[in-house]
Amino acid sequence: MTLDPTVARQMISADLLRLRKKRGMIALALAVVLVPLVIATGYDVVRHASDPAHYAPAGGLNNFGRLLDLLGIFMGPVAAILIGAEAGAGDLAAGVFRDNVLTGRSRTALFLARIPAAVAVTLTVTAIAFALGIGTTFGFAGGLPTPDATLILQSLAWLALANSVVCVIAIGVSSLTGSRAGTITALIGWELVLSPLLVQAVSLGSLRRGLLDAVLAFLKPGPASGAPVIPMPVAVAVVVTIAWLLILPALGARRMRTRDA
Amino acid sequence: MCAARAALTVIGMEITEANQLEGHRRPAVDHREPAVETYGLTKRFGDRIAVDDVSLVVPRGVAYGFLGHNGAGKTTLIRVLLGLTRASAGRASVLGLPVPAQRARALARVGAIVEEPSFYPHLTGYENLKVAAAVRGPETRARIEPVLERVGLDKRSRDRVGTYSLGMRQRLGVARCLLSDPELLILDEPMNGLDPGGMLDVRRMIRALVEDEGRTVFVSSHLLDEVEKTCDVAAIIDGGCVIAQGSIEELVADDGGELVIECDDTARALALLAGDPTVRELRAEHGALRMKLLARDQAGEVNSRLVAAGLVVTRLEPARRSLEDRFLEMTTRLEVAA
Repeated sequence: MTLDPTVARQMISADLLRLRKKRGMIALALAVVLVPLVIATGYDVVRHASDPAHYAPAGGLNNFGRLLDLLGIFMGPVAAILIGAEAGAGDLAAGVFRDNVLTGRSRTALFLARIPAAVAVTLTVTAIAFALGIGTTFGFAGGLPTPDATLILQSLAWLALANSVVCVIAIGVSSLTGSRAGTITALIGWELVLSPLLVQAVSLGSLRRGLLDAVLAFLKPGPASGAPVIPMPVAVAVVVTIAWLLILPALGARRMRTRDA
Repeated sequence: MCAARAALTVIGMEITEANQLEGHRRPAVDHREPAVETYGLTKRFGDRIAVDDVSLVVPRGVAYGFLGHNGAGKTTLIRVLLGLTRASAGRASVLGLPVPAQRARALARVGAIVEEPSFYPHLTGYENLKVAAAVRGPETRARIEPVLERVGLDKRSRDRVGTYSLGMRQRLGVARCLLSDPELLILDEPMNGLDPGGMLDVRRMIRALVEDEGRTVFVSSHLLDEVEKTCDVAAIIDGGCVIAQGSIEELVADDGGELVIECDDTARALALLAGDPTVRELRAEHGALRMKLLARDQAGEVNSRLVAAGLVVTRLEPARRSLEDRFLEMTTRLEVAA
């Protein structure tokens, strides 16, 4: 059974339907990116309002850098993990995987259809949070400098890359393990705890270039923020990103093909 | 192990007056290759043999019951047929196509529910079928509304599946099977957990799929009465072995030639026939006489003798066993033999 473009489009659209209708998961993903943003900005706004002499306005370029860290390195990837894990293991959890297999459709095609759908949902969530962040950057800038259009576009592309890669990895890991909860726990632990620690472990030297967080911090546009940046050739950054993008999803796809339905 | 059981096998795949008692229409005999055919199919899990040397022929255009206790190997055989797990030995074909070699081509013409129909509970019935149709191909999209109507779920199709009863999910499962307009439906325990009304709905639906639409429906079940009421042909599996297969009529036929007689004085009739040379076996049971004659055409003579003795005979007919009786008899004999 070959996969023609119409079927591929329908399968992606079906996966998109099942993801976007998972309202609890979507709400959680949005909350994960929006709540910290609102709290951080609100805190800065109140602080600046109470003592403008000591505290800068909540918006402006520095705030924009912090927004990028939040959406591209910390909470954005968490949202991407939630969505990717659902996309990768949702049909197994619901028991629908077997019925999909029973159609005779290639399991690889079933796996690949998950990726564009999950990435689309992740990018939508990221874009909503980014739009709110841009609003606060300009709205509360006071007299501070603000990002120009080029920087905004570069940042958007970087966020899309960062969160898409994490989402695809989450799809791969959840397809590999067959467990949403396990995938979410393991990847959030990696993303928020282990990986940042390893990036800062100077003793690891150039090995740290193999960490996705290190690559993303290196590629991040705009003003430097708190996260350490490990210098590396752009080619290395590209190769490492592609490796992360391929290895775990390939393992997930392989497991999909061999999994007992 | 199965070799000993083979002696019990009733082979007779001709569809005769199957299930007349239930008023089934007689399915037309279909001369195309069988819907399912297996030869020496075996599935082992380590040392345990789940399916043992099973040879089956499922004719086209019938409701075929696959009967067995829980754990007898029904679902394992279905999983092998559908390519969900590989056979350890033997071969199988579905709609004339060898599986697993041509599994994808075969499954494109098959609709199946294995174990229980599963859906995304957060989606509506319609949306679940939309997701299923997307995987099956563009031509199936247009069939969503008709199949929902076909299974009687058109009015609830916009409700979330999480709110559906088990019977509704079973029907939605059948609707999903019908999306690809299959020639063969394989339903694993479709009556499981259903109330009597739900069972009746599913039974009627299966009969309509066979009689009105000419499909073949392969139903696995441990509910003997339901198989007897629903199916034209059946196989009985026990301990991984098929111990009998044939039309329901053949399976329940009284090969012992037993007669049941009811009259106004059972004790007198018993005494009268006790020394009769035409009677081989005789006993009173539940207010009736049950007997075996040397030849069945001697039933008229027995009746005449009773009437001549002044007894009023109210019933005289060949004893008919239910599929349940037959099933229990076979499996009990096998247990004793083991």
